[in-house]
Amino acid sequence: MSTLNINGTSHAVDVPGDTPLLWVIREHLQMTGTKFGCGAGLCGACTVHLNGEAMRSCQTSVADAAGKKITTIEGIDPHGQHPLQKAWVAEQVPQCGYCQSGQIMQAASLLAKNNAPTKQEVVDHMDGNLCRCMSYVRIQRAVMRAAAEMRGEPGV
Amino acid sequence: MTKHSKIDMPALSRRHFMAVTGAAGLMVGYAAMPDANQALAGAMSHPKFEPTQWYSIGTDGRVTVVVGKAEMGQHISSTMAQLVAEELGAAWKDMAITLASNDPKYNDPVLGAQITGGSWSTGMNYDAMCRAGAAGRMALIAAAAEMMGVPESQLTAIASHVVDTKSGKKLPFGKIVAGGKANKVFTADELKAIKLKTADQYTIIGHSVPQLDIPPKTNGTAKYGIDAFAPGMVYGMPVTPPVRYGATVKSVDDSEAKKVPGFIRAVVVEDKTGTTTGWVVSVAKTYEAAKKAGAALKIDYDLGPNAKVDDAAILAESRRLHEDGTEGFLFVKEGDAEGALKTAPKVLEAEYTTSINIHAPMEPMNALAMEKDGEWHIYTGNQFFTRTTAIAAAIAGVDPKKIVLHQHFLGGGFGRRLESDMVVPAIAAAKAVGKPVKCIYTREDDMHMDFTRPLTYQHVKLGVDDKGHAVAMTHDVIGAWPTARWGIPAFLTPSVDKKGSHDSFTVNGADYWYTVPNHTVKNFENKLAQAATPSGQLRSVAPGWTFWATESMWDEMAHATGQDPVALRLSMLDGLGDNAGKNGTQTQGGAKRLANVLRIATGRAGYGVNPLPKNEGIGVACVSSQERSSPTWTACVAHVAVNPETGDVTVKKLTLAMDLGTVVNPDGVRAQIEGSALWGMSIALLEKGTLKDGGIEQSNFDTYTPMRMSNVPELDISLIGNGEPAVGCGEPAVTVVAPAIANAIFNAVGARVRSLPITADAVKASMSKV
Ligand code: FES
Ligand code: FES
Repeated sequence: MSTLNINGTSHAVDVPGDTPLLWVIREHLQMTGTKFGCGAGLCGACTVHLNGEAMRSCQTSVADAAGKKITTIEGIDPHGQHPLQKAWVAEQVPQCGYCQSGQIMQAASLLAKNNAPTKQEVVDHMDGNLCRCMSYVRIQRAVMRAAAEMRGEPGV
Repeated sequence: MTKHSKIDMPALSRRHFMAVTGAAGLMVGYAAMPDANQALAGAMSHPKFEPTQWYSIGTDGRVTVVVGKAEMGQHISSTMAQLVAEELGAAWKDMAITLASNDPKYNDPVLGAQITGGSWSTGMNYDAMCRAGAAGRMALIAAAAEMMGVPESQLTAIASHVVDTKSGKKLPFGKIVAGGKANKVFTADELKAIKLKTADQYTIIGHSVPQLDIPPKTNGTAKYGIDAFAPGMVYGMPVTPPVRYGATVKSVDDSEAKKVPGFIRAVVVEDKTGTTTGWVVSVAKTYEAAKKAGAALKIDYDLGPNAKVDDAAILAESRRLHEDGTEGFLFVKEGDAEGALKTAPKVLEAEYTTSINIHAPMEPMNALAMEKDGEWHIYTGNQFFTRTTAIAAAIAGVDPKKIVLHQHFLGGGFGRRLESDMVVPAIAAAKAVGKPVKCIYTREDDMHMDFTRPLTYQHVKLGVDDKGHAVAMTHDVIGAWPTARWGIPAFLTPSVDKKGSHDSFTVNGADYWYTVPNHTVKNFENKLAQAATPSGQLRSVAPGWTFWATESMWDEMAHATGQDPVALRLSMLDGLGDNAGKNGTQTQGGAKRLANVLRIATGRAGYGVNPLPKNEGIGVACVSSQERSSPTWTACVAHVAVNPETGDVTVKKLTLAMDLGTVVNPDGVRAQIEGSALWGMSIALLEKGTLKDGGIEQSNFDTYTPMRMSNVPELDISLIGNGEPAVGCGEPAVTVVAPAIANAIFNAVGARVRSLPITADAVKASMSKV
């Protein structure tokens, strides 16, 4: 039995310690915002935060996640109004949308540390997150827009 | 019917697929209960007004459009809602969407089936959705006239209210519905007689209203097939054989799998539809247990007849077919190309190939199957409900009427979800264990068992006269035939000489809009490829390879005859004869519109204005994808830099111009062009599938490598919409980018690459020949 702290709530889960966190979040706990894309750390669709760091949940075992603060797309903002989420709507980013939870979680870990990233910093930080619909242009714009909001710049 | 498909689809074979409205819908599916999504939308619990099957209006004024098209990120659901809202007079904030079940009443009004593809949706549903919206408005106005005691002629509908133009008094739509008087039902003839708005009266069409499916896609609440659950469900993971097609399972040893806690059993899939061959499903209480147990299964296969087939064998067979020449089906026959080539002073000849390409949508294939009270409920995201219903029925062993498909958002379609294979292991496993089963492919299986874009081979011969005019072209197009594999005769096209039927979805685009007096196009089925690599429709389909060949060849001709590639194209886009297009159809304006987008793209790119640095080049291409009857006029200018030491290509900028006739949602169109242009570039440079020993070699995103953010070039996109009939925008840009890049590479370093993807090695090799 492991105890997982997800979005501020404790969940006791009875699974082997080597179970990928991804499947526990998605299937056992039915928090389906976190997505399965490759199961091999190659696409970023499964990205969540562990103590504020972006991690691939398909490559993280339950044993490693236990005791840490886990945040998923459902918990990034209580009202779904994180600056990135608002920017994602403003820039009309998602196409099929399947990669976007992972994109937002990945971007959030950048902006938490650096709210004035350069374009190159955004690209470097986001390059592990595939978008098969190729919404990259808008992802970039939305990250910049959210960063501006977080800096409190007017006009956003 | 091909031997792969034994599904009986009598309704489909009886009518031509493109039959016009009026005939009864296909009776291959029947939803006895409202779709779960509809129930979720909350519309069911209130009294409401349903002017047609396409939408309802609640007493709260909410207008819920039932989308019969697969929503895969092209935002077609919002497009449908825009068309309804425009004529209904609804405010955009009151619009909502729900996804249709497989009830035939949601069949496409033109196609008579539920299928999403071909960039057809907007064009084919435009009229029907507008009429549906107008019918609702008329019914609401009639009811309001009674309620307000004024003549109908004095009333109009604006922003979800019926407004009295004399007194200024307003009644909200919701109140009118609550009054219970809005109940006029329109006959087909009455619908047809409605006079629709003209483009200058539009207030919602043509505007970038926010897409309705986007907010749930930013907070984790959007539901995809993989997110479905059913009480008491267990998990299945397909275990697939090493060959793509043709294997059979001889025996399964599950002694090791049984040691995995939670393992239930291994189910050998009996698939009389031939959709899958040699599949086993590992079923367990959890997905991770199903996966562990699946890996522990020892399966003995007969690998079947395709176990030695590889790319080289397929290519060799295509060359043989070309040289033999007798098995081709005539697709275009203008004048006497063969004769004219014999006398032409200059003849250019080239082979163009494209590799296997894998769809790899971000959401791997999956489905949840559950039997309840004799009905099978399937939860998945799918582009072709009509066929999936038939296949599901065959696997479940029930009448198609007992199949209820619950549509979900698609985590990427790109043509992959036109196939129905995902329901097969789910139903087979659910039947075997007597419980609902959610079956999820691993990424590896999703790639290995993809219905890929086929490996294609084209042979082009071009005759040029002394004045530098193209006088004759012969063009052989050879590969597997995806659409023929579906076994739906209505999908096939009679050859020009009526000698037989062929899969024109593999040759569309070769019937281009340039005026060339003698032109022959022949389409060949490569049966070796057809058997070994059941191919599918991959975003943009044939124009993704036919324009690769022809747009490269025009460039080769321009260089060989000392002409400017843009001027050459413009001279052949004269809009004469058949190339004039037909008024009132999507082809209105014809070749002149293609010339126009070419001029716009080259103008915006500054074509020929400034000299370029060494090893940089600009290349152009222009296309009329998808089909000749539904052309989206598109031009691209690619600006590349080539590293002469390594052959590496960097795309610096893509400039695109697209004429869509009518632009329903400019921002949505832009998003589609951005995505599809980058798809085209990804296919041009980064994505290569290969076949060895009958199996697809790529397994995951380390070996199959679609574009990432760091590869994205600068994009400049121009939209043209002058009020002609609307056309699709999700695919055409895919087809124009690869030849533009290849032509740019030639201009940069003199390397002519004729196979896709363009690899650094191929560029380097071709450079050394210069
Ligand atoms: S699913 Fe975890 S990185 Fe792809
Ligand atoms: S929006 Fe479809 S994969 Fe990114």
